[in-house]
Amino acid sequence: MKFTPENKTTELTASVLLTNEVGLHARPSVKLTQSAKRFRARLEVATAPDGPWVDAKSPVKIMRVKAAKGETLYFRASGADAFEALDALIDLVKRRFDEE
Amino acid sequence: MTQNVGIVIVSHSPKVAEGAADMVRQMVGDSVPIAFAGGNPEGGIGTDVGAIMAAIDAAWSQAGVAILVDLGGAETNSEMAIEMMREDQRSRIVICNAPIVEGAVMAATEASGGSDLAKVKAAAEELMAL
Amino acid sequence: MTPATQHALIAAMAETIIAHTDDLTALDLAIGDGDHGLNMRRGFEAVLADIDNLAGQPLPEALKSLGTTLVMKVGGASGPLYGTLFITLAKELPAEPTVTDAAAALDKAIAAVKARGKSEPGQKTMLDVLVPVQQALALGGGNLARRLPAVAEEAARATVPMHAIRGRASFLGARSVGHMDPGACSSAFLVAAACGVLEGACA
Repeated sequence: MKFTPENKTTELTASVLLTNEVGLHARPSVKLTQSAKRFRARLEVATAPDGPWVDAKSPVKIMRVKAAKGETLYFRASGADAFEALDALIDLVKRRFDEE
Repeated sequence: MTQNVGIVIVSHSPKVAEGAADMVRQMVGDSVPIAFAGGNPEGGIGTDVGAIMAAIDAAWSQAGVAILVDLGGAETNSEMAIEMMREDQRSRIVICNAPIVEGAVMAATEASGGSDLAKVKAAAEELMAL
Repeated sequence: MTPATQHALIAAMAETIIAHTDDLTALDLAIGDGDHGLNMRRGFEAVLADIDNLAGQPLPEALKSLGTTLVMKVGGASGPLYGTLFITLAKELPAEPTVTDAAAALDKAIAAVKARGKSEPGQKTMLDVLVPVQQALALGGGNLARRLPAVAEEAARATVPMHAIRGRASFLGARSVGHMDPGACSSAFLVAAACGVLEGACA
């Protein structure tokens, strides 16, 4: 995981490998959006470094990403608590969404 | 302590209603009040206004209640139930135009983040958008 | 309305539905899911069980209780539809209604049933009986209580060739043609029963 703060827009980006068995399935999607909703920051997810970006706080949109195990999730965040938010989301994915 | 929007599941089948509520609880956790009503007063396939009213009360929250329904009769009876609730509750109950199980999961996920009733309804109805 | 008249009115409606359970079942077996007769009987049996209490209340309260009982006991789509009809009548009627009051209240009740069922006249539903009855009531004239049952019966018969596009019968599409709508039939029975009692009161 690497944070690359861009001073121009104060947008943070990060990426993490999906290692849980089912990937971004229904239950992990719920956990991801629940986690994202705890932060005020604008949070977005993509399966490629240049998007398309989807709102990490929308359960419907996150479920439609349909990322599988072995894919990389890219995050971008902006706002006061963007750093903490990214930290929490990356940690959740690394913990395999507490599935196993 | 802010209260999360409650979710009520109304199906023609007691098993579908209970199963959907179970699934929502497992996926979303206990931070959202969830109740369900399924079947007619005899326990057969159908819906029961009295049971829907009881479910709304059971899932009641100051933030309101979002109802998910399966077929037309469930919607009609849910509308009837809303009309028969107390005056102060009526304006804080909505029926979501969304598939019952997926809609309940989406609505509850949205509700678990503390979103208001309009946002909870919109989250479920986003499923219907292409 | 005297408690005795009110008692007779409610009893007549309930007993008519109970007496015609099999007819309503037969109609609903043809084009619905066959439960209209039993559902309506269950609702009106509950009404009969409470009749002494209903007869003693002012008319609007009695109609509200009756409608609420139907909502809770009938089930299916008919419970909320008939419940909405009676509960709206209760809301709109004064304690001692004139024919004009009745026509206005029925107009409001029909609007509420339309909204509840998301349906319009011509779609082979109870509305196809209620609307012509309301129109006759609004026109007024003599012998209303004697004329309305005939209006209701004719309107129920007029649902036979209609093509259902609402409710369970709509799944049958063209196969719903050739059968009277069960809801139209139960509405006609209720109109006939009510008018039979009121014939002395609103001639």
